[in-house]
Amino acid sequence: MSAPILVNSKLICVALNDSDQLKKMAATFNEKPYVKPPTQPVLYYKPRNTWSAAEAEIEWATDFNSGKPAAEMVVGASLGVVICKETCRVTPEEALSYVGGYTIVADYSLPEKTYFRPDIKGKCLDGSAPVGPEIVPASEVSNPDALTVTISINGEAKDSFPLCRMEHDVATLVSIISNIMTLQKGEVIAVGFTGDRISVKPGDAVSASIAGVGTLNNTLGGAV
Amino acid sequence: MRHARIIYKGEELAIDIDADNKITTDAGAALDLPVDSDEITWLPPVKEPGTIFALGINYADHATELAFEPPKEPLIFIKHANTLTGHKQVSYRPDNIDYQHYECELVAVIGKSGKHIKREDALDYVAGYTVCNDFAIRDYLENYYRPNLRVKSRDSLLPMGPWIVDTADIPDANALKLTTTVNGKVTQEGSTKDMIFNVPFVIEYLSKVMTLNPGDMICTGTPHGIVDCQPGDTIVCTIEDICALETRMVSEQEYYGDKY
Repeated sequence: MSAPILVNSKLICVALNDSDQLKKMAATFNEKPYVKPPTQPVLYYKPRNTWSAAEAEIEWATDFNSGKPAAEMVVGASLGVVICKETCRVTPEEALSYVGGYTIVADYSLPEKTYFRPDIKGKCLDGSAPVGPEIVPASEVSNPDALTVTISINGEAKDSFPLCRMEHDVATLVSIISNIMTLQKGEVIAVGFTGDRISVKPGDAVSASIAGVGTLNNTLGGAV
Repeated sequence: MRHARIIYKGEELAIDIDADNKITTDAGAALDLPVDSDEITWLPPVKEPGTIFALGINYADHATELAFEPPKEPLIFIKHANTLTGHKQVSYRPDNIDYQHYECELVAVIGKSGKHIKREDALDYVAGYTVCNDFAIRDYLENYYRPNLRVKSRDSLLPMGPWIVDTADIPDANALKLTTTVNGKVTQEGSTKDMIFNVPFVIEYLSKVMTLNPGDMICTGTPHGIVDCQPGDTIVCTIEDICALETRMVSEQEYYGDKY
């Protein structure tokens, strides 16, 4: 049995927030179609059909054209910042007082081949955004930017993303996003993923962990 | 039949409006008011808004206007309820920008859950149609998940309504005249027949990837004829047989008040 859905009304993800990835892609981002590097955090939504929970099985994607199992899926994991009250146009200095707690967000998707257009086919798969296993009160996390997100697959460590590598820190993101849109209690921001998403296979057991926040376990479904 | 959500005498009501403009509340009470009464405050018509899908450059003439090739597959982006506001409400223009334009669009409101929906069955999943104005701020465009959230996810910049017309009352949603006026002057004239990807196509496309749910909305893009809008402007987006949506532009300071 799966845990309850922890997201209310909005799950905002921040892409391209790994400074190593930005450095690596600097030349690409000066070419078409991008023309110049991003001047703002790059944001996307995981809509409500994607929301899922700890221990849930993640459905293997279907190829859009053939209807057969997708050739490849990837996973990224992020610290999830949980908003605790209406957050409208806050400054970075006050931003963390609008954060009620922290959790883990995993983003299962098709590989990120381009960042030019919103990636509906890649990112909006049903059940592809488990959030959990619980929300740890903000008071128990003294500095969210000092955390490290790790991913292991079938028990083998695959990735480690220290959040000090984020281009925009947690407070800056909450501030910038709240100046675009008013955030509500229970909305979640996935603040950053490692630049290279991790390839997964049907049946893989994936664990995303943050010391002090928890471990989010999910299993990939078999290809149908 | 048309369906709306309003505030009347301090009370939030779901109402039906019949062909003779008679208003009945969902509790069955008649509301003896003209539909254009100033005593009605219009709310966004979908009570529990889900995922809002919006199409970019979905009219060939608008694609040309923006110097784009018409797309070979739909350009779809996502919005959420923070962007919604109702008929005769205000939308804001951010400070220090050069170009913010309206986008008058036909909206299909999903009424039933479904996945892998075939084009020919798609309208069974549509509860009805309404009109939205999917404002855009061109200054904020960047080529990352474009149109990016900074352009398209701002509070109040998706007025919608005033009501939803039942799907059964619109025999052909792709034969409707579309008009926008700014301060009474016609600035945009088009027809939903010029849409590149129509509602059944988009429902088939999206539902190949994901489950669509009641309260989800599909905003279908706008034709040629966009112009800059300033605080003080009144914009009316009209789609024949659906509804006319009026919005007044205000400054960022007026909109946010104490939070400015």
